[in-house]
Amino acid sequence: MSGHATTLFAIGLTLAAYVGMRRLYLRYKHPLLNVVALGAGLIITVLVVLGIPYSAYVPAKDIMTSLLGPATVGLAVPLYRHRGLLVRFGPAILGSVALGALLAMLTAGAIAQLGGLPKDVVMSIMPKGVTIPFAVEIARICGGIPALTAAFVVATGTLGSLIGGWLLTLARIQNPMARGLALGTVSHGQGTATALMEGEQQGAMAGLAMILAGIFTAGFAPLVAWFLGMMG
Amino acid sequence: MTQTLKALGQLAILWAIYQGSTWLAKATGLPIPGNVLGVLALFGLLCLGVLKLSHVELAADFLLKHLVFFFMSIAVGLMEWGSVFYNYGAVLLAAIVVSAVVPLLLVGCVAQVMYRRRA
Repeated sequence: MSGHATTLFAIGLTLAAYVGMRRLYLRYKHPLLNVVALGAGLIITVLVVLGIPYSAYVPAKDIMTSLLGPATVGLAVPLYRHRGLLVRFGPAILGSVALGALLAMLTAGAIAQLGGLPKDVVMSIMPKGVTIPFAVEIARICGGIPALTAAFVVATGTLGSLIGGWLLTLARIQNPMARGLALGTVSHGQGTATALMEGEQQGAMAGLAMILAGIFTAGFAPLVAWFLGMMG
Repeated sequence: MTQTLKALGQLAILWAIYQGSTWLAKATGLPIPGNVLGVLALFGLLCLGVLKLSHVELAADFLLKHLVFFFMSIAVGLMEWGSVFYNYGAVLLAAIVVSAVVPLLLVGCVAQVMYRRRA
């Protein structure tokens, strides 16, 4: 295939994988039916079978992600819609989310560092608690690898949405606001989807926590990266 | 048709904010991603009343509904990094599990205590 034909094929393949996996998820709503993981897995399989190298997929990726920046800026819309919650519970929300975001980065980064992982892998795992567009950019600034970060983000989100609710119940955390904040801070969009299934209040809090965790993580990242550098 | 045009106009607003924020991040050399600054900028503009929700929500809601689409093509990049999981699987798993469970419980506890104190 020529370059343009491959790019067109890759875009078609990605759209088909997205539509198919989204339909599957919406039908069963199970956390393991993750659209990103299954969709990317399907695309990689097709590319490998057809002998198309990743470098031939990159132009298609660049075209398709050109709207990711404006889409991410759009996260301010749900944040603004829920500003009433921020005004009412400001200290509880900001305090717990900031603490959670910092701790997630420190534990992930420290274990990776002590476990002897190369620096670029450590920097890729450090921001994995937040939604992909933030995590990827934070990793890039700190010297991480975007694709690895995306994988760690999805793994964390899947874990959080699989066992997060159960763990919170086990720890007797019943307050809907606290449950939503915990799920959104630790497992971003996937945790938010789980929280929404528990209830509207949990979902709203998780959505807020997800965006705020992204902002806090971006702010803390240079400090945590410096700290991890001192450790190694 | 008018809805589509309206959404495209709103997309242009989001795009302009994103480009402006990315430029600002680069120009100032701040170690903060442009998209994070962009969220803060749009939130600020909405709070100040410079922009109204109706100026951006059509495009923003559509893009956010399909946000996951953009992630898929980024994750395809894993094609080149399979060996990392093969070589460091156990450490990666430990890092991901511990850094999910500990903050989850901490955030839940702190938020619950702060909520009760306030109530």
